[in-house]
Amino acid sequence: MSSPKVILTSSDGEKFPTDPKVAEKSILIKNMIVDLSPDGLEEDFEIPVPNVRATVLQKVLDWCEHHKNTIFPEDEDEDTKKTTPVDEWDRNFLKVDQEMLYEIISAANYLNIKPLLDAGCKTVAEMIRNKSPEELRKIFNIVNDFTPEEEAAIRRENEWAEDR
Amino acid sequence: MSFPSSSDLDGTWSFIQPSLGLILGASGDQGVTPAVYMNCYTAVYNYCTNKSRNSSLANNNNAVNNSYSLAGAEIYAKLEAYLVKFITGLTQDANESFLEFYVRKWKRFTIGAGYMNNVFDYMNRYWVQKERSDGRRDVFDVSTLCILQWKTHMFTNNADKLINETLVQIELQRNNQIVDTNLISVAIKSLVYLGIDIQDLKKPNLVVYINNFEKSYLEKTAIYYKNESDDFLSKHNVVDYMKKCETRLNEEISRSNNYLEDHTKKALLVTLYDVLIKQHAEQMYDQFLTLLENNETDHIQRMYKLLSKVPSTLQPLADALENYIKNEASKVIEEIKKGNDQSMEDGEDAPKKKSGSNAPNPKVYVHSLIAVYLKFNEVVDNAFHKDPIFIKSLDNACRYFVNRNSIAASGPKAPSKTPDILAKYADSFLKSSAKEAETIDMNAENLMIIFKFVEEKDAFEEHYRRMLAKRLINNTSKSEELEESVLKRLQEENSLEYTTKMSKMFADMKQSEDLKLKMKDRLDNNLVKEFVPYILANSMWPFSKNDDYQLNLPIELQSILDNFKKLYEESHNGRQLTWLWNHGRNEVKANLSRKGKPPFTFIVTNVQLMILLAFNKKKTYSFGELLELLGTIPTILDNQIAPMAKYKLLEQNPPGLEHQNKPDTTFTIVDEYKSRKLKVNFVSSLRNEQKQEDDDAKKELDESRKNYLSACIVRIMKARKTASHNELYNEVVTQSLSRFHARNIDVKKVISHLIDKEFLKRIDNNTYEYLA
Repeated sequence: MSSPKVILTSSDGEKFPTDPKVAEKSILIKNMIVDLSPDGLEEDFEIPVPNVRATVLQKVLDWCEHHKNTIFPEDEDEDTKKTTPVDEWDRNFLKVDQEMLYEIISAANYLNIKPLLDAGCKTVAEMIRNKSPEELRKIFNIVNDFTPEEEAAIRRENEWAEDR
Repeated sequence: MSFPSSSDLDGTWSFIQPSLGLILGASGDQGVTPAVYMNCYTAVYNYCTNKSRNSSLANNNNAVNNSYSLAGAEIYAKLEAYLVKFITGLTQDANESFLEFYVRKWKRFTIGAGYMNNVFDYMNRYWVQKERSDGRRDVFDVSTLCILQWKTHMFTNNADKLINETLVQIELQRNNQIVDTNLISVAIKSLVYLGIDIQDLKKPNLVVYINNFEKSYLEKTAIYYKNESDDFLSKHNVVDYMKKCETRLNEEISRSNNYLEDHTKKALLVTLYDVLIKQHAEQMYDQFLTLLENNETDHIQRMYKLLSKVPSTLQPLADALENYIKNEASKVIEEIKKGNDQSMEDGEDAPKKKSGSNAPNPKVYVHSLIAVYLKFNEVVDNAFHKDPIFIKSLDNACRYFVNRNSIAASGPKAPSKTPDILAKYADSFLKSSAKEAETIDMNAENLMIIFKFVEEKDAFEEHYRRMLAKRLINNTSKSEELEESVLKRLQEENSLEYTTKMSKMFADMKQSEDLKLKMKDRLDNNLVKEFVPYILANSMWPFSKNDDYQLNLPIELQSILDNFKKLYEESHNGRQLTWLWNHGRNEVKANLSRKGKPPFTFIVTNVQLMILLAFNKKKTYSFGELLELLGTIPTILDNQIAPMAKYKLLEQNPPGLEHQNKPDTTFTIVDEYKSRKLKVNFVSSLRNEQKQEDDDAKKELDESRKNYLSACIVRIMKARKTASHNELYNEVVTQSLSRFHARNIDVKKVISHLIDKEFLKRIDNNTYEYLA
């Protein structure tokens, strides 16, 4: 008899039988299992995941599978967390289109998978770094709704931060 | 399953509220499935993320306030209201007590609170954390919020009822009724959980537990055991009470391990010890003497263990022990006195000295004192676990009865006879004449037990040394090894200085032995076959020249002495030799036997020797003639000649003791001496000059004390320059304690002497100054 699985059901109805150890990378799922099966899993445990569609859930679970044995330092202070570069594997893993990237970040937030959320956010931050406003408007598809006067005012206010 | 619109607060709340009921146990343990759990979480998530996005969009137009806000406040408020309604809606079953109701609901509620915390995790993670880090102290994570609502709406109004019912259960348990211990334990534990410090949620806090429960618990406990112990003691004896105490203490300790916080344990013990032990200490003291009387060590130990929980109760017990030992010792002393009188009347083993009942048999006396010591030493070991307080009581009592019992001292100021008696005890087993059977259990161990308690150690030294001197010069020591081992133990117990004189005496004996060998070659007449000189250093030995012995030595003796003096001066020029005629022994061969029989050997003193030598020239002398010939005084001659007349070596005419010292009474040597023994001792039956020796001992002791005190005072004053009399006296007492207890009057005398000698100066009435 195989050991009990956590069966995750995506918003579009696809079922993902998952090793509990992998699923518990999500603190949400981990807490739920502890609450509802305090003595440990004895049979398959079905959890609906109504906010994540199958393709995204698959991606998230791939990440969890890869990191199932990774120990992430807890309660790292904010500065260390900010300066640590994105893990090489994660960087490649997150080389996806913007839509998918945002959905992964969103799912990580929803399922409470902190290291994945951090990696996603850093990836976005790296996309912003060293880009001009025009470039950013292009990348993120933003319409410039400032009047020239407003824009000049903001530039003056933030002059100190200009790279010289 | 369709979710409510993420922007619809009321819709969202109606969606999750039924699930919250399930989670908090509105339908028992049923109904919480992963789907219910997940749907609730998702609805809260959707609401919060949607509102956050909207509000951040709304703020976009406001350039000044660019801090975005998180959604959650409305959900939080709804939740709070819901919890109040839920808790106040909980109802007690008809057939359960409040305690049962409270515990039942609490157990389920706390589980639910844990779930709630996770279901609202998204709100906790962002909104609550942000609010708290912005400094709001009235917003809490959901789990804490649940507990706080319980505290306000369930506990606060019912605290008295809850605590009372809990205390009633504990009292029932104390009365040995079966109670649901789980109820008690959960109720008490809930008070710990309710102690939340809203300033610092992580800090554990026992405020609720202490204020609502601990105080009442300790009060109830005190009342309960006050009543029980009063009642119990009115019906049972103290021993049973002590057993009861032990049981009760164990029960209460195990109860406190089961239910109570560590914080309470110390206070609980203080309460219990006070009610159970301190309040009844007097009754235990009363019983103590009976227990001692009956040797009930187990119960004494029990009493000690109980009382030692309250250290202040031990001293009266120790005092009682001390007094009891003193009493026991005086009973023993009275027994000895009675036994002594008895044996005097029987004429059996009657003391040779005439001091009557004041001079007990040293062995009986010393062994009786030791028996008292050993008996109570065992009590202190076994029942009191060698507690220093009780060792001290034993020591105090022993020191008291060893020095100041009715045999040792006739009055409070009289010097103690114990040092003298103890020295005699030592002499008994150290001298060779003692019978083996009598001395078999007399030994240095016993000597040292009593020696330790003797206050006037210098007096013991004085008496001991006098007897040692006799053993040495009369060659009556049982063994040199034994003598030296006793000396070593005295030295170890007191000091090297303490045994200086005695060590010197042993050294003198060794040197005299060498002299004897050298002298062997110089014997120049046939009369003296062997000459054994003892050269005894003047201030070390307890002997002094006796002017009553101005003897006219016969030529045959004088030449030996001259010879010896020459020999001695060859190696020790300038030393003065003084002959101690009243000491010394002679072995004389006397040709007074029947024909064909071996000659007798007589053991005689110097004076007796001279008497015998005189009879070599003439068969009869009058008392007067002998007196003139010898150059001694009548009392000495009288005393010395007595054994010779008594044992029929000399025929006295007219006979009778009353004529013995008349100048005209004549003494004639017998032609043929008759005795069953070949060796006849004319020394041992000589009347001892005991009185004289006692006086000498006392004089020497006084003198040495005076010297010791002088040295002591000079030493102290040299260091201090000035001192008041009391300071000086106290210091002197401390310093001389290992030898004797210095009396103020003696110290004063020595001080005046030192002032006369200009070592000290009196500055005012009460202060002295050291003069260099």
